[in-house]
Amino acid sequence: MRLKEIQRTAHQAWSPAGHHPMYLALGTAAQQLDASFNTTAALEIFEMDFSQPSLDMQLKGSLKTPNRLHSIVWVNFGMGADGSGGRLIGGSENGILTVYNPDIIMSSGADAVVGQSDKHTGPIRALDFNPFQSNLLASGANDSEIYIWDLNNFSSPMTPGAKTQPVEDISVVSWNRQVQHILASANPSGKAVVWDLRKNEPIIKISDHSNRMHCSGMLWHPDVATQLVLASEDDRLPVIQMWDLRFATSPLKVLENHTRGILSISWSQADSELLLSSAKDNRILCWNPNTGEVIYELATTNQWCFDVQWCPRNPALLSTASFDGKITVYSVMGGSLKAQQQSTADQISSSFDTMDPFGTGQVLPPLQVPHPTVQDTIVPPLKKPPKWMRRPVGASFGFGGKLISFENPKVPPMQSPQPIPRQVFLSQVTTETEFLQRSKELQAALQSGSFNSYCQTKIQNARSDAEQDIWKFLLVNFEDEARVKFLKLLGFSKDDIEKKISKCLGKSFHPNGYGVDAKDLAEKMQLLTTERTEDVADARTSGSVSPSDFFSQTPNENSNFQIPVSCDTDGLISQALLVGNFEGAVDLCLNDGRYPEAILLSISGGEELLKKTQQKYLLKQKNSISMLISSVVTQNWRDIVQSCDLDNWKEALAALLTYAHPEDFACLCDILGGRLENEKTEKCCLQACLCYICSGNIERLVECWTSHRDSSSPLGLEDLVEKVMMLRKSIERLRNCEVAVQSPILAEKLTCYAGILAAEGSLTTAMTYLPENSDQPGIRMLRDRLFNAQTEAVQNRAGGSTSKTATAAQVPAPKAQVMSQYQPSAPVQQQPPVPSVFTPVSAANTGPGMRPSPFLPSATRPSMRPSYPQHPAPAPGFHPHQPFQPQLIATGRPAAFPPAGPSLPAANLSGPPLQPPSSTPGGLPSMPSPGVPPTTFMPPTSLPSSLMSPTSQTGAPLPLYPGSLQNQPGPPVASGSYAPPGSGYPQGGPGAPAVNPYQPPLVAPPPTGPQEGWNDPPTVRGGPRKKIPDNYTPPAPITAPVMGFPVEAPQPHDHAQVPPGAPQEPSMQLLQQLPTERVEQKEIPAEHMILKTTFDSLVQRCQLAARDPQTKRKLDDSAKRLGHLYDKLREQSLSQNILNGLHEISCCVASQNYQRGLEVHTQVVSSSNFSEISAFMPILKVVMTIANKLGV
Amino acid sequence: QVSVINTVDTSHEDMIHDAQMDYYGTRLATCSSDRTVKIFDVRNGGQILVADLRGHEGPVWQVAWAHPMFGNILASCSYDRKVIVWKEENGSWDKMYEYTGHESSVNSVCWGPYDFGLILACGSSDGAISLLTFTGDQQWDVKKINNAHTIGCNAVSWGPAVVPGSLIDQPTGQKPNYVKRFVSGGCDNLVKLWKEEDGQWKEDQKLEAHSDWVRDVGWAPSIGLPTSTIASCSQDGRVFIWTCDDPAGNTWTAKLLHKFNDVVWHVSWSITGNILAVSGGDNKVNTSSSPGAEPSTEASPSSACVFCR
Repeated sequence: MRLKEIQRTAHQAWSPAGHHPMYLALGTAAQQLDASFNTTAALEIFEMDFSQPSLDMQLKGSLKTPNRLHSIVWVNFGMGADGSGGRLIGGSENGILTVYNPDIIMSSGADAVVGQSDKHTGPIRALDFNPFQSNLLASGANDSEIYIWDLNNFSSPMTPGAKTQPVEDISVVSWNRQVQHILASANPSGKAVVWDLRKNEPIIKISDHSNRMHCSGMLWHPDVATQLVLASEDDRLPVIQMWDLRFATSPLKVLENHTRGILSISWSQADSELLLSSAKDNRILCWNPNTGEVIYELATTNQWCFDVQWCPRNPALLSTASFDGKITVYSVMGGSLKAQQQSTADQISSSFDTMDPFGTGQVLPPLQVPHPTVQDTIVPPLKKPPKWMRRPVGASFGFGGKLISFENPKVPPMQSPQPIPRQVFLSQVTTETEFLQRSKELQAALQSGSFNSYCQTKIQNARSDAEQDIWKFLLVNFEDEARVKFLKLLGFSKDDIEKKISKCLGKSFHPNGYGVDAKDLAEKMQLLTTERTEDVADARTSGSVSPSDFFSQTPNENSNFQIPVSCDTDGLISQALLVGNFEGAVDLCLNDGRYPEAILLSISGGEELLKKTQQKYLLKQKNSISMLISSVVTQNWRDIVQSCDLDNWKEALAALLTYAHPEDFACLCDILGGRLENEKTEKCCLQACLCYICSGNIERLVECWTSHRDSSSPLGLEDLVEKVMMLRKSIERLRNCEVAVQSPILAEKLTCYAGILAAEGSLTTAMTYLPENSDQPGIRMLRDRLFNAQTEAVQNRAGGSTSKTATAAQVPAPKAQVMSQYQPSAPVQQQPPVPSVFTPVSAANTGPGMRPSPFLPSATRPSMRPSYPQHPAPAPGFHPHQPFQPQLIATGRPAAFPPAGPSLPAANLSGPPLQPPSSTPGGLPSMPSPGVPPTTFMPPTSLPSSLMSPTSQTGAPLPLYPGSLQNQPGPPVASGSYAPPGSGYPQGGPGAPAVNPYQPPLVAPPPTGPQEGWNDPPTVRGGPRKKIPDNYTPPAPITAPVMGFPVEAPQPHDHAQVPPGAPQEPSMQLLQQLPTERVEQKEIPAEHMILKTTFDSLVQRCQLAARDPQTKRKLDDSAKRLGHLYDKLREQSLSQNILNGLHEISCCVASQNYQRGLEVHTQVVSSSNFSEISAFMPILKVVMTIANKLGV
Repeated sequence: QVSVINTVDTSHEDMIHDAQMDYYGTRLATCSSDRTVKIFDVRNGGQILVADLRGHEGPVWQVAWAHPMFGNILASCSYDRKVIVWKEENGSWDKMYEYTGHESSVNSVCWGPYDFGLILACGSSDGAISLLTFTGDQQWDVKKINNAHTIGCNAVSWGPAVVPGSLIDQPTGQKPNYVKRFVSGGCDNLVKLWKEEDGQWKEDQKLEAHSDWVRDVGWAPSIGLPTSTIASCSQDGRVFIWTCDDPAGNTWTAKLLHKFNDVVWHVSWSITGNILAVSGGDNKVNTSSSPGAEPSTEASPSSACVFCR
């Protein structure tokens, strides 16, 4: 296909292959005149800009030359590294060889001639440069003259040897393409001579016997050193002969197709199977010289083409010079002339004037350009695909970091009879070795549940303190007594502080002013609180100071004393008191700076007054601890976290850990974290993260982390995911159910993480991280992709149904892994619904006729995913939310149940927090009060050190929450020892003395210790069930604020009446009552015993009959889970509907009618409160299903 | 790290020119100068010949898998000027569509992101690029960009589906108004970007840096960043990475990734867009003179070079 054209009668030279951009140099041809009879000569350089569709060539430079040329070459010599320049060498009609610098021609034109020689005596028709040494040039002229020029030393050419005799014109010279010192020359008589420049003599002469060869062209084979072709200009023998010097007696091959003499030949250096020839029959042919076949014929004009040349740089291009005065550039790749010319027609006609280089106005009539007949021509490409199009290598990526690569042998060994192995390699590309390693470790930890050791390892290997801190915090979440340990991590050790306090108190009764040690403060605050408590008690009893009230250490009230009635403050206060004007008295006291008195009085003056007094007091106190005191007193932690200096974040967090109400704790932590986060510094970000870890707020943790740390890089992401997964695990452990965090950012990060895992080839692992229940298209697609990528190979695709079944069978596998990932301990895992979740997928896969299309309407999608919301935390009454739930201990996993503070976040993460468990009586929320009254109010000054010291000796965390001890006589105490700070606290820290006597045994073995401490009968601990006594109320998290302690709160009478001096007794009494009560509650009501008997025996039967381990596991598990049912029965907490249903099921089971049993089961499930039955109904179904299958 | 996990003996009788995994990485399609296209099931390290597709009358240069939401569809292009779309129905592969609108070798085929529907771009040595859109019911709509690359188009590659202005994937309920874009490389040494406006394809950008044929172009998958990235490789041995940060997509900057001593034939981005595999005739990797990415791995046994970014 014609690409460029210009009106010139010239010899042509392409810029060398390395030259960029691509130029074509044209030197006015000798012995040819155009219609203008113009005899001037010029050397012009045109740029081939193929990004322009027009036929124009762009003139880049031109130089007038004194002589016309017979030959022209463009050599690499002198070419810059940037691929420009080189040398143009022209051989003129009068024997002058001129060397031009093309750069100079294109820039200025002056001094472009860099060398000239007139050694030759006649017209120089032959020029060729050495392909290996671009400074070597061969030229041939009349009289057998051949010179070898060294462009470095242009003045003295060499000869290849003695002139051949008889002397003849040299029409062609050609350097061998393989051996650099071999040169060939040919003359019009048809003889060719091969010269060896090392020997300086001709080594072989080739001559056709016909003597009709009139050699117009000679070329060496581009690849084969011993082969060359000769073209004959003789019309009687218009052939191309292919010679091999190894058999130089006759031509190896003769290419016959032209009908008249051949004028020019060119052999493609890019593909030796492409040889061009132009002849006097007006045709330009392209041969495959190896086969002798004509593989292409150029569409040309009806003119002889005297010069044809492949473009060295662009192997699909060639240029022709014809006697009608046109230089044309063609492509052998074909195309449509129509499209091209239409788009260029306008351009050509509009720029017509410039197309008339000779100014004659005759050369280029306007009609000539858009030739109607040419317009629709579709020019086909070469019949044979050229070598340069045949891509020999390739590597492309597939899903999962697979690299598919292939390679073809460089030179196809045509001789070899062996077929070449055509192989494609599939490789796994992994770029993130460390990432993969760490992900593997994380995965191992997640699967084995060895979170503690994982965190420990992380702590040891932490690269920075910050990192270490975070891991320490994460680790604590897996440990017992998390809150205490958090405090320790923050630098507040109770033991230490208690020691310090006692030391301090040893010196002075006034710990005030000894710095802002939080624990000191805490102690002080407790004292303050005692006042309140006391006040409440008083308010309740009589509203006035009772004789046996608090000043037990002060002189007996009954002794004589004077009541001052003077006019000074004392007097005024007395008077005010005498008339019952507490408010006035308090004001006076405050005014006089008598704060203790003010507070004491206000306690008697009623709650409101006390509040007011506290406010005033706190307003006046402007020292550093007042804010803290204020917050402790008013329970206003929001202020602390909102306004504390961020440098004190640790203290603030410590305060939260110590005091904050479980419901608020997470929220407050988050506020503190949020403030830190807003500081936008690296350090604060870390601290914020710690806050979020304490609060268990995965979402905020992720947000904070991602906003300050790089989490886009794989390792950065790994850092984040490790933490998130650990935090999530800890929360799951605490709540004993899986945690579904609905956080877009986390989902995004996990998706990203899964994406990287997938890209690294860890498809299975990737699947486990992908957010389960997201509708995001990206996530859905990745899931689908992972899922399908992991399906097993189908052996026999033709056998459609079988193969598809195989696929379907595979379906659950990856999913099941996913499930186990997210539901490590959740009872619901064994539910039949879990497997059934996958059935839609199977169905899709087995769908008729089609490979499973994963892109079903999204309506079907949700069913493919295990949807966590379907398995909410097991009934609140049973499970994790309340750390105090005795059931957990009772079910034989005391150690597994972490009593720690982090359980508090549960509220935050799970939404509906803490309903009163069905097993506990309704009075719960208001119950915490009973412990209050017994506590003794002790002004700070009179706090007996003797009472403090036992506390410090035991090192127990309890003093802070003594209330809980008082209130929780049962096993919950152990776990609740600090978990219920919110509720425990309001009963007043100062209650400590009351509790102390009981402490040491309590503390010793943390979780179960209390039971021993309380001397429970052994049966209690081992017993199947501990019913909370009706009159006992676990200090559930919901409590009224201290100040507003409801007077109407129900409380045991004996408590209310206890004289303050003997606070211990009531608690003792309460505790002692407990065991008996519990024992009473342990039996399953007789009418329901049948259920236990039936179900247990069913399980046993199944266990005997079961064969495969999976079923056995399920059954083992079922025994445990049915325990939940029995617990419920003991508690009598099941509704009648459920009980009826259970009995019916039991009947069915007894009669081995499992089908019916399952039906009843479904009815019960569908008609009941899920939370009530979720703990045992699923397993019941599993057992029945198994039983049905086993036929027991 | 590159480790061979499976070697598939294709039994092609001539040079292999392309090998592509399907969307899930479970099937491999190869094409060859022997005029055939073959499909292998390569799950679990296997290599089961699923189909041997004959229909081309010249070397088959490239194959491309369509997104599976459209079914199991494979496109192939050949020196015979044809593009054939193959489809698996009931376990057997048949011609779904044959396009003969090019006047020269069709060198490259590429399916658009599934968001655009079933649309195939084809680059040909006749300089044109064809866009074939399946309109349902056996009908294909053909749009042709003539003279996209005057002396031949060697490669086409689609840009990821992004919503204008954001350049980030937007998961939304209703169908977003995607701007369809693709990149092409040709014998005019240019890399060109094309954009569909009002149903017409317009040249959007012309990127110049290569000094010889652009052999292949690869538009990197979106990785959530508002940056578009394109890799181009050339006969001149150079591999360029083009990036565009501005949402309008007007300013592209080129960075030389590497200069090889021989033709670079092919570039391929990993699915996540962070790795580029470069295959060339010269498998010697000389020390990179480019700032930034170094060849991180050399894939044995094939002459591919892997770059990470």
